[in-house]
Amino acid sequence: MIIVTGASRGLGAAICERLTSKGQDVFGLSRDVSSLTFDGQACDVSSYEEVKSVARMLKKKKAIVTGVVNAAGIASMNLAIMTPPKVTQRVIQTNLVGTIYCCQLFAPLMLRNKRGSIINFSTIAVALGLKGESVYAASKAGVEGFSRAFAREMADFNVRVNCIAPGPIDTDLLKGVSSAQIDRIVAQQIIPKQFVPSDISDLVELLLAENAGSLSGQVLSVGGA
Amino acid sequence: MTNIQSTKVLIMDLVKEALSIDGEEVKVSDDMPLFGSESALDSLRLVELCLALEDKASEEGYEFDWTSEAAMSKSRSSFRSISSLAEEYACQIEAQK
Repeated sequence: MIIVTGASRGLGAAICERLTSKGQDVFGLSRDVSSLTFDGQACDVSSYEEVKSVARMLKKKKAIVTGVVNAAGIASMNLAIMTPPKVTQRVIQTNLVGTIYCCQLFAPLMLRNKRGSIINFSTIAVALGLKGESVYAASKAGVEGFSRAFAREMADFNVRVNCIAPGPIDTDLLKGVSSAQIDRIVAQQIIPKQFVPSDISDLVELLLAENAGSLSGQVLSVGGA
Repeated sequence: MTNIQSTKVLIMDLVKEALSIDGEEVKVSDDMPLFGSESALDSLRLVELCLALEDKASEEGYEFDWTSEAAMSKSRSSFRSISSLAEEYACQIEAQK
């Protein structure tokens, strides 16, 4: 089973679609699961209790978890000095703390079988230091730091931990971002092209596969940074 | 009441087994720390010990949650000794009866 957070929208939904089309057993988590066409449960990843309740339920069911894709996230495109404290807290709580909760509570489901792959999501804004994304980038820089250290902690158990750092991908997260802004960001990538959700799904498939067994503690910047 | 003594013996046996090299007997005391710089167990062995306790609880129809706040608390961590882990285990099982 592969657990995917943020499963009902954006990249998470695209990843679930890809994995289910390849016959994978996907368990989706999202605050609203009414649109899911596969197995899942409502869960707000920023709540430790909600994530723990999902982990407990899967443990009881003796689910064999081989992968966790932490795609749940929210964006904040604003100057730091214009960002209200509530927004800052919500971005950090969902993107960073939510990712940590899912790693802490779902990784134990993989330890018994001594195999697994965890994929966390960062952003190219961390490497590029993009203007107007400071709070969002801070939350994702935290995800990168956590993932590198967590990869070492999990290595004894043959569980790999990696990050994907996309640039501007055409999803709901980009609502409100002008095409001129997107073009400016894309121009800073090594490959100056706007990638699409299926490019991210390709990377997810690669990192989940057992033949990516040599990759852990890495941040893959989509388009290059 | 879940027998703390028998849980303590089980944990001691599991720790002995984890630390034993070539079947050689290893001395283990119930005040032996299981976590931190003074622990003889590395993280892999500590987690394996937790999984073994999880299995024992499950065989008896209960749950043992080694990720609980009480288990992880730095000041009163259940992993500060074999005795404290046995007490935490017994306490959790008792609460489910």
